[in-house]
Amino acid sequence: MELALIALLGGGLALDATSVGQFMLSRPLVAGALTGWMLGDPALGLLIGTLLELYLLVSFPSGGAQFPEGATATVVAVATASASSTPGAVPVAIAVGLLWGQIGGFSITALRKANGFIVPEPADSLRGTELIAAAHLAAVGLDFFRGVLITGTGVAIGRMVVARVGAPWPLGERESFALVIAGAAVSVGILLHDLGGFRKRRALFVTGLALGIVGARLL
Amino acid sequence: MSALSRRAIMSTFMRSFLVQGSWNYHTMLGTGFAFAMLPGLRRIFGADAKAMDASVRRQLDHFNAHPYLVNVALGAVLRLEADGADAQTVRRFKTAVQGPLGGLGDSLVWAAWLPMVSMAGLALWWIGLPVWVVVGLFLVLYNAGHLALRVWGLRSGLRYGRDVARTLREARLAQLGERIKSIASLLVGVIAGLVLAGRSGLSEAGLLWVVVAIVCFVLGLLVGHRIWRPAAIGTVCAIVLIAAWGVVR
Repeated sequence: MELALIALLGGGLALDATSVGQFMLSRPLVAGALTGWMLGDPALGLLIGTLLELYLLVSFPSGGAQFPEGATATVVAVATASASSTPGAVPVAIAVGLLWGQIGGFSITALRKANGFIVPEPADSLRGTELIAAAHLAAVGLDFFRGVLITGTGVAIGRMVVARVGAPWPLGERESFALVIAGAAVSVGILLHDLGGFRKRRALFVTGLALGIVGARLL
Repeated sequence: MSALSRRAIMSTFMRSFLVQGSWNYHTMLGTGFAFAMLPGLRRIFGADAKAMDASVRRQLDHFNAHPYLVNVALGAVLRLEADGADAQTVRRFKTAVQGPLGGLGDSLVWAAWLPMVSMAGLALWWIGLPVWVVVGLFLVLYNAGHLALRVWGLRSGLRYGRDVARTLREARLAQLGERIKSIASLLVGVIAGLVLAGRSGLSEAGLLWVVVAIVCFVLGLLVGHRIWRPAAIGTVCAIVLIAAWGVVR
């Protein structure tokens, strides 16, 4: 029952990424917290969501680009982490989430190819306008089904993996967290590159860095 | 223009949230665009099935734009159709406007607004605010900009029709994007500082991890997007190897 509910949540959040609204409920930060709430541990959900948000900062649903899917990846990662209380749970969940984000991205590409067969073309018989609405909403439904399937499969596999490797994980909690953060630092660097690069933004970046360090010491 | 009722405009606005629902590599947003236009077109053409059919076919053509700024095109094309513009004018307008709407939207929303709000959300989490505050502020702030852009786009399109390009230039969206990127750059620095020195920060794990993170950050800064996938694969491989080491030892 819990797996079905998580899969439905994944399907709903997957819709938000491109098909419906784009209110950013599908961003890892939000998807993680929502999954955590559903599983009774919102703090863990937000922790995983924050870490995946760092990784996926530079990934967004732009035009026809193929991108890792953050929503299903986050739901899968939080559900994976929640199945184990060992220090290995978080890094293993992040690895599963990153992998599943890629699989989700491939499934979106496949869905978009399938949509090409569903939608009417200008030369087709439209039977009034009913066909347009029916085809469009069918494609939305297909995206939801895709999200449910990807999430459900990911959670089942992720929980099996964390049950096997979570307990014998050799690193402590701090080192495990640092390992994940170090990997995410690449994305933060890419983001600064996208925002104009170090040369152009160095004054603001260094000011922010100083504020962050001082703020961290004060809090 | 007077042919369009408030209800039809509102219906088109609500449908614009689903404009990417049938995104495909053939017509891209074409079907979604037509789907969003239907309430307005029904109002404009009424019982004239032949004119309605011809207009709907025009909207089904290949079209692509940013999902928020697509409202500019939706409004302008509704205005053109209501004013009785011919098929060529509508097609030429859609072709001309899609590139700028896509480019502007990508640089303003995906490359500036979303990263800035995300960095703000991450900073709030790192300083220890409760979950609901972090998520709530992220969603409220992001969607304030999101919804304002959609409303402004549809209203501008409806008001200016084919002259909406001038409005886009006057709105100085590119300059606005630059300002947002400046704030985002500051927040990237704040996050880096919090990660280095904050609670559960890297400094607590030891100097080695600080050095590794700085090297990774510089790598991303120098190489850009090309390094993202190799870095993600590298992270997954490192976690798999450490897990395997734990299992076999």
